[in-house]
Amino acid sequence: MSKIILGVLAVLVFTGCAQVKPWERDVLAKKEMALDPDPLHAALQQHIFFSKEAASGGYGTGGGGCGCN
Amino acid sequence: MNRLRTVMFCVAAAVTANSAWAVSAGDPAPDFSLKAINGDATVNLKDFRGKVVYLDFWASWCPPCLKSMPLLNKMRGRLKDEGVEVIGVNVDQDEGDALGFLKEHPVDFPILKDVDGKTPDSFGLQAMPTSYVIDRNGVVRYVHEGFRDGDIGEIEAKIKDALKQK
Repeated sequence: MSKIILGVLAVLVFTGCAQVKPWERDVLAKKEMALDPDPLHAALQQHIFFSKEAASGGYGTGGGGCGCN
Repeated sequence: MNRLRTVMFCVAAAVTANSAWAVSAGDPAPDFSLKAINGDATVNLKDFRGKVVYLDFWASWCPPCLKSMPLLNKMRGRLKDEGVEVIGVNVDQDEGDALGFLKEHPVDFPILKDVDGKTPDSFGLQAMPTSYVIDRNGVVRYVHEGFRDGDIGEIEAKIKDALKQK
């Protein structure tokens, strides 16, 4: 029974996924929508994490929100 | 384990399938009929048969387009007497954004508007910006995705190749 509920929930969650065509990304390309709005600040943070905790990685790739490059 | 592999294969196939039918070198360019962004003129791609066309899909929100537009304008100035035309198709949802962009960075070549995105869809666009070198017979010779410094040299070379053909 709970498996069925889980299955239904999963399907409902996936309906939230929209297919965005490359030429429809205007809202996603806005600065506020970037995962990383301030690259300099993010670079500083990453350096600090590395030196204090020996932690690195786990961040997304670059390329801009518009999928241009 | 076998089932997982099957699922992963299906996911991989679904994800990559989309690019399989995108227009690529050797395919005929799909014809279109779009309105110019300023004025009422309607422009068809087949009006340009006999010329080499550089078709560029761009938008005001696309940073590489900021770099490419002035460079394409200069290139067009150099090549237009040899039978080359540059056509820009703007895909902005809001025409005002495109007009604002063109005010800051005016160009001499025709700019058409496609708010619905039907034209990039017919070309199977995979990235923004993407541009196509179309030869005199309406066949795509070269697809260029994105725009980085130094790309203009390669683009000009491909256009010159297309000019050599009859």
